[in-house]
Amino acid sequence: MISDIIAIIRDYWLLLLIGQYPNGPLGGLAATLLLSILAIAFAFPVSIALALARLSNSPFLNWPVTALVYFTRGVPLLMLILWGYFLVPLVTGANVPSFLTMLVTLVVYQGAFLSEVVRGGIVALGHGQMEASRALGHSYLGAMRYVILPQALYNVIPSIISVFVATIKDTTLGYVINVPDLTFAASQINNQLLTQPFQVFFILAAVYYVICWSLSRVAIVTERRITRKRAGTASQATAKSLKLAALTDQPS
Amino acid sequence: MSNFDLSEILGNPEYVAMLLLGIKMTFVVAIGSWTLAMTLALLLLGLRYAPGPVGNAFVTAYVSYHRNVPTLVQLLLWYFGIFTLMPDPVTFWLNDHNAEAIFAVIGLGLCQAAYFSEDLRSGMRAVSPGQMEAARALGHSYVSAMRFVMVPQGSRNALPALINHSVSLFKNSSLAVAIGVAELTYAVKEIENLSFRTFESYLLVTVLYLVFSLMIMALGAYVARRADPVRSGRA
Amino acid sequence: MNTIAPSKNSPMIALTGVHKSYGNYEVLKGIDAEVARGEVVVICGPSGSGKSTLIRTVNRLEEIGSGSISCDGNNIHQPMPAKELNRLRSRIGFVFQSFNLFPHLSAIDNIAMSPMRVKGLQRDVAYAKATKLLERVGLADKANAFPAQLSGGQQQRVAIARALAMEPPVMLFDEPTSALDPEMVGEVLSVMKGLAADGMTMMCVTHEMGFARDVADRVWFIDQGQIVESARPEDFFSRPQTQRAQRFLSELRH
Ligand SMILES: Nc1ncnc2c1ncn2[C@@H]1O[C@H](COP(=O)(O)OP(=O)(O)OP(=O)(O)O)[C@@H](O)[C@H]1O
Ligand SMILES: [Mg+2]
Repeated sequence: MISDIIAIIRDYWLLLLIGQYPNGPLGGLAATLLLSILAIAFAFPVSIALALARLSNSPFLNWPVTALVYFTRGVPLLMLILWGYFLVPLVTGANVPSFLTMLVTLVVYQGAFLSEVVRGGIVALGHGQMEASRALGHSYLGAMRYVILPQALYNVIPSIISVFVATIKDTTLGYVINVPDLTFAASQINNQLLTQPFQVFFILAAVYYVICWSLSRVAIVTERRITRKRAGTASQATAKSLKLAALTDQPS
Repeated sequence: MSNFDLSEILGNPEYVAMLLLGIKMTFVVAIGSWTLAMTLALLLLGLRYAPGPVGNAFVTAYVSYHRNVPTLVQLLLWYFGIFTLMPDPVTFWLNDHNAEAIFAVIGLGLCQAAYFSEDLRSGMRAVSPGQMEAARALGHSYVSAMRFVMVPQGSRNALPALINHSVSLFKNSSLAVAIGVAELTYAVKEIENLSFRTFESYLLVTVLYLVFSLMIMALGAYVARRADPVRSGRA
Repeated sequence: MNTIAPSKNSPMIALTGVHKSYGNYEVLKGIDAEVARGEVVVICGPSGSGKSTLIRTVNRLEEIGSGSISCDGNNIHQPMPAKELNRLRSRIGFVFQSFNLFPHLSAIDNIAMSPMRVKGLQRDVAYAKATKLLERVGLADKANAFPAQLSGGQQQRVAIARALAMEPPVMLFDEPTSALDPEMVGEVLSVMKGLAADGMTMMCVTHEMGFARDVADRVWFIDQGQIVESARPEDFFSRPQTQRAQRFLSELRH
């Protein structure tokens, strides 16, 4: 068993790492990580805009975003990916690589998700900060930009890392539209070998585990550091942080 | 593209039957794995609080694996990996009893148990230590203090997280399509293939998922309100 | 079990050579003191002097390093089965600074639950008694309110009723009014005064000097883990013997 696993890694490590590249599209672990990083990088600004829209008093901003949040919370990501596969080429009118379709879907999905995290961070700050800034003459957006968001975003850094971990796990669902990621590479190997499915998927699980576990550790350490820094200022209600944790820490 | 026409699907008894079968299978997988997950979560929580370091270490490892490996990969490992390592009689029996669905329930249930048990544990930890002290000062034993003071509060604290995770478990039942369970996502792909009505079939199934998810959220909110002594109107 | 038959003359609480340390830090440096039956003792002293630690050792919420404590004839800190300790604790009422009411139970359930679950009282008996106790603390109309719906003063009065429901011969209070808004302090103190008037043995950590003057039989002044002065309140307030007590009192008055 162990020798099988070593043999598979020896024979297929390059495929697992970068897929068919340079003879085909970038794949494997590299594609998984690139996809996740790009998704979170685009989802982050999107989420701030969505959070501000949802916090605004205007129903024209508030309502559609609330609907989007409930939509993404209620519909399986798999279904959204199928929608993306159907709609993205329709909208762009071009033959779009599945990698890009997956990226767009993940940005929408995690953007909506992350917006709840950001909103939670803003709400957790309480009214005092906004009132103090307005009293100093800041505009609403000025107060957001210079006072509220810097604190709120700093406080939710651990949750953002958790969402990043969730994104990495979510990229596996790209298999429905044949995104050439790590899971796709493993299925290819499995199809070639045929006789050692356990060994192949065991390797796959182990690689994901190492990456996600390490990132989760980073999130925990960051959380501790932030809690320690904050300890002097305001004490956060446990219930609030509980709810926030439940939101970001999703199985996928 | 032809014009939007839902009746192309809803008017066709064959498609409707496929949809209904998909709904049924989605619920079998979701309810089966939810029940398994909750049962396991309580066992894991008990192990956490058991004396000695072994139980705690086991639960830590269990939770760590199930949270850091993508659920889909866990399912693939169960169905394509572990299934093939089982002795023949077991394999035959499973194949006769919808092995795909059984492994979906096992895979999703085991994974979700890790989340549920952590939800319950955080809920317990959020109960102020003064509560245990007050109960002990009144003469309650550890078990009695747990039963009458700590657990009722801890489980209530855990409710929002449990509800959130129940919704995501329901959504994750769609992953079962990857190991060939004929649930709702499977049905939509079939119908789309046969009818060429992509938009209509996707829309239909998306609405179904959304309605079911919102129903779980509403049920959860109702349970949470009932459990909140102050707002339940018992006061 | 070396239970001394409690006689009328034996003290209710006796502390002998009580030492306690957190790591290298010695919090209690040899406490020798007694509380007679029916006596009300007020404990005061600067922050961090060990008042809470001392009072919490009496019902063994806190372990001690050496020495011994007896309460109502029972040696509290000797090795004993958990069951026995629970029984002893149920006979020592304790009131916390932060109330620690059970938030998932209504006021009357808070009071009736432990007599049923710990002492095995019948439900109707427990509730009849709880109703009487609520009347006694002036909250008969709040029986079905939950802690979150009560003011701090009301919560603390329920907490006192909850402790009384176990029918303890002695009550311990750890700063029962210091988490309260000033206008609510009076209602809690008057419940405590009533208890004292009924002959309850009480040990109270408090900085309410008016209460000490009116109700206490004796004041213990604690500093740095030792009882520096033990005197009748009128003596303590008018003629404190040590510089430390003088300084403490003058700071309290400012
Ligand atoms: N669990 C603990 N671990 C370490 N040190 C402790 C612990 N609990 C209390 N202490 C220390 O023991 C000392 C006495 O604490 P204690 O709570 O008895 O003081 P106190 O007289 O009740 O003060 P206060 O008026 O502030 O309530 C303090 O210096 C405190 O920091
Ligand atoms: Mg204290």
